[in-house]
Amino acid sequence: MQATEISRSALDVEWQRLQVVAGNLANINTSRTASGEPFRPLRLVSGPRTGFAGLVAGGLPGGVTVRGVETVQGNARRVYEPAHPHADTEGFVTYPAIDHAGEMTLLIRTARAYEANLTAINIAHQMYARAMQLGHQS
Amino acid sequence: MTGIEAIGAIGPALGAPAITNVGGAAAPVPGTASGTGFAELLTAGMRQVDTKVAEANALVRQFALDDSVPLHQVTFALEEARMAVELAMQVRGRLVESYRELMNMQL
Repeated sequence: MQATEISRSALDVEWQRLQVVAGNLANINTSRTASGEPFRPLRLVSGPRTGFAGLVAGGLPGGVTVRGVETVQGNARRVYEPAHPHADTEGFVTYPAIDHAGEMTLLIRTARAYEANLTAINIAHQMYARAMQLGHQS
Repeated sequence: MTGIEAIGAIGPALGAPAITNVGGAAAPVPGTASGTGFAELLTAGMRQVDTKVAEANALVRQFALDDSVPLHQVTFALEEARMAVELAMQVRGRLVESYRELMNMQL
């Protein structure tokens, strides 16, 4: 069941990526975080999951894992809103410069990757079920 | 159980990896299977099936309590448990089939 284990790790990662993108979209109008800094969009960084044993054995694929959640560097969006409670002395409010189209594209890509891994799991289960029928009489 | 033991003597090498791979990590090394009896192998396999079913059960309960558990983990555990049970049933089927075959042998 190694193949399904690999695909399951990818499902976990894509699920978390979806949560990160959803968080970015939810904070698109956030003017300030709890620490006072402007909100920065986040990106989930994933990498291959290879344990020490796997490296020694010769790099068999072991799935994917979350390497961390990093902030995207970029300019903040400054909007002139003097009446806003979070406006600075010049009357500007700092919003995160979230690339809306980019986030939506990433969302769709995440969903497609999730689907692809579900398909891989289904195929693996089909092969498993077929193997169970091996030599089955009547 | 002696009849089953006799059948087990024919193919413990074939039976061992198929059963122990159901559980994945905690599988004994197939090379050492010649020492263990087939009944013990069966028992170990059934215990792993039971573990899988219990895992799926716990995940379903957790999902029902709070849905912070990703849904795919629940369905995956359910599917894995189903597969394990199905494999156990297949093993049992073959076993009973061959036992019956021997019982019906004309002497």
